[in-house]
Amino acid sequence: MSNEAKQFNAFTRLYRGLTTINFVGRKKTWFTVSTIIIVAGLLSLGVRGFNLGIDFKGGSSWEVLAPHSSIAKMTAAVEGAGLSQPTIEKLGAKTYEVTADLNNLSQSAQLTETNKVVTAMAKAADVNAIQVSTSSVGPTWGGSVTSRALEALIVFFLAVVLYISARFEPKMALAAFVAMVHDLLVTVGVYSLFGFQLTPDTVIAILTILGYSLYDTVVVFDRVRDNTGSVLKSGDMTYGDMVNLSMNQTLARSINTSLVAILPVLSILIVGAYILGATTLQNYGLALTVGLFSGAYSSIFIASPLLAVLKEREPRFKELKLRVEARGGRETLTPASAALLSGEGAQRAVKTGATASTDAVIQARARKQKRR
Amino acid sequence: MASHVGTKRSMTVSLILTLLIAFGSLGATLALGWGPKLGLDLDGGLSVVYKPAVKTSTANMQEVVSILTNRVNGLGVSGAQVNLQGKNVVVSAPGVKDARAVLDAVGQTAQLYFRPVLCEVTLNKGKLTNVNPTTLPTCPSKYLLNQANLGVTVNSQSVSGFTMNTVSPDPEFGNVATTLPVYDDPNSRVILPILGNPTQRYLLGPAQMTGQSIAKAVAQEDSAGAWVVNYSLTGTGSKLWDQVAQSNFHQLVAIELDGVIQSAPVIQPTQAAFSSFGGTGQISGSFTESSAKNLAIAMQFGALPVRLIPLTTQTISPTLGHSALVAGLGAGLVGLALVMLYAILYYRALGFVILLGLGATAALLWAIISALGHTAFAPSFNLAGVTGLIVSIGITVDSYIVYFERLKDETRAGRSVRTSVDRGFRSAWRTVLAADFVSLLAAVLLYIIAVGDVRGFAFFLGLSTLMDIFMTWYFTRPLVVLLGRRSGSSNSALSIAAGLNSGGSDNE
Repeated sequence: MSNEAKQFNAFTRLYRGLTTINFVGRKKTWFTVSTIIIVAGLLSLGVRGFNLGIDFKGGSSWEVLAPHSSIAKMTAAVEGAGLSQPTIEKLGAKTYEVTADLNNLSQSAQLTETNKVVTAMAKAADVNAIQVSTSSVGPTWGGSVTSRALEALIVFFLAVVLYISARFEPKMALAAFVAMVHDLLVTVGVYSLFGFQLTPDTVIAILTILGYSLYDTVVVFDRVRDNTGSVLKSGDMTYGDMVNLSMNQTLARSINTSLVAILPVLSILIVGAYILGATTLQNYGLALTVGLFSGAYSSIFIASPLLAVLKEREPRFKELKLRVEARGGRETLTPASAALLSGEGAQRAVKTGATASTDAVIQARARKQKRR
Repeated sequence: MASHVGTKRSMTVSLILTLLIAFGSLGATLALGWGPKLGLDLDGGLSVVYKPAVKTSTANMQEVVSILTNRVNGLGVSGAQVNLQGKNVVVSAPGVKDARAVLDAVGQTAQLYFRPVLCEVTLNKGKLTNVNPTTLPTCPSKYLLNQANLGVTVNSQSVSGFTMNTVSPDPEFGNVATTLPVYDDPNSRVILPILGNPTQRYLLGPAQMTGQSIAKAVAQEDSAGAWVVNYSLTGTGSKLWDQVAQSNFHQLVAIELDGVIQSAPVIQPTQAAFSSFGGTGQISGSFTESSAKNLAIAMQFGALPVRLIPLTTQTISPTLGHSALVAGLGAGLVGLALVMLYAILYYRALGFVILLGLGATAALLWAIISALGHTAFAPSFNLAGVTGLIVSIGITVDSYIVYFERLKDETRAGRSVRTSVDRGFRSAWRTVLAADFVSLLAAVLLYIIAVGDVRGFAFFLGLSTLMDIFMTWYFTRPLVVLLGRRSGSSNSALSIAAGLNSGGSDNE
């Protein structure tokens, strides 16, 4: 089987279900890689903190579409209007964004200054004043958005742990939970490391990622649960081998799904944000891209190996492992051969002497489905 | 094993119905000219979030909402909404052409307090200290603006009809800063400046009445041509005002609006003894036409039960909104096209199932979003919502991928395509339900707990997840199963078997 597999390239092996990647066995590598990224992120967070947007620090920003202007022209205009230390950026091809902090002024003085800058920018862009967008944020706004998001996060974690415990089992809930915390830490760390600007949009995007990462994990765990009955009863495989098989079985799906999820998000980031210049899209796109990569990684390399580690500490799977090892080596199944095994259960099972159990399992599965 | 997930007839009906509903409703929506209710970041407009300056009851906040609604409606702005989100008030007016004009009217977050004036205090130049009003010292008696020190006497010889003593300001407070908005609590003492003269300041007692007691206020010229504000009080306000006026008789009462003393008139200085106001009164002083009118408007409409602090204010120009819409839709379409291309390259014939499915889902979603745009129920369609939809492309396509990968597994097991489509759907359906449930859970929790744009995002993510469950059962299942049952002998490159191209059959 493995010789046959080697004659194809990686894509064909994946496409035909001939992969035998040892995800569980190389868990130390995956866990180390993640730990390094997370520790680096947390160190950076401790030293440099976040690059906070005006939504968190408080401040004002103005935006205008000005195809025929320049940064120098805008700077001169807003400084002429009395802004001290403004930041002027060009977004996309023709949008200018000016940021400054007016929170030390009184409410009415802020309004007056905001209007002065609007007039100045409209003049510099050669448009009517109503074409200038403004945004002013008090110093506590971002904090209140974040605290609501944190509430949502905690409730979400609880609900997810309960759901997976009930529908699958508590150890799967724990593994999925760790994978989600992993994604959270990685994304937060990457934001600090690269100095990406943190806005409330980023916070929303991170919440979505967690949902998505979990969705990905659930699909793999669903397969693990299916296999727990059928594959393990043959006695040829340890729990870890079975998780590995499940992952190879869902690998094509995992890669395809991650690709179709990342394609539209990259399109948000590249087409929406950099070519057409919409800031909100940029905020979402960046966080989603970072998070989706982390989410795809964590459901394959963190959640499932961790599940195997947790389960193999249970006495019955410990015993199983000893039995399998005592027999001298395990059988490494490709998804394709595992499928053959279940499909032609009768013929194949005669060799392994497990006819009855294999058959019984197929019936058990069928019964379950009728109930649903 | 006779495992059917539906009869041929029922599946044909379900498939045709689904396609009819999807494209029919899209056609109907387009024919009616309906479109989604665009959020202000796509359509331009105004959005302000206010928080109460001090803790207050929900009833008070609901009154704030109704007063602000009146103000916005008074401007003739259509489609504007004022609502409570948690403890904050959110004012949004999407599609408004000149958002700043609306902001100027709504942003006047007037809160009126009637406070007794305790004493006048000086203001030093140089560094000032902020003091929590609960620890403010009291004025020594010689500086108090009480009846004894003021000594108001009726004097018909004087122009104003009375005379009173000058009481010098208390220098002890010179280094204390004017009370900050966060400490401007009706129950505390405060130091506030007088309108138009920021260096003249009074130490004021706790508020004895708020603007809620005022029924009506108008600016008028009196017989001598001076501007005055005539006001009338509500039933309960009338009694309260009499009490306040009696206890402060021949003393000053400050009318405070948003941390500034608008006026600090002496109570009935031209009368020797207190008499009831009988529900009406007049404030005179050195008013100009505009200052009198502003005071009258603030007294009548500005009477919020609690002071509001703007947390975030946004005005979006219609052109920028339009360019964001183009960017969002552009990104979505490019993303969709890439996904479809990938699906066809990878799954061939089955890729066209994904293509048709995504098309039907998109048609149905657009129709639903447009129809919801005509109700007050749905959040408006904003950039966050667009992102939610774009993200859901992944979730939608994943359901197909889960099913098709199961199909490959089944055919690898040596089963015919015919049996595989049934068996594969059963296990895929369970996975799709479990996974979509998680996505729905995230959407519902976000919608309930989060504020602002997040809700739009959660709503559209949740809607498209529900749509995915619907389409998987009523569209993907019948189409693939029907194709699978027909495809037994077909060997064309576009046949379902070509898309599966299983390793299993190669091994046979």
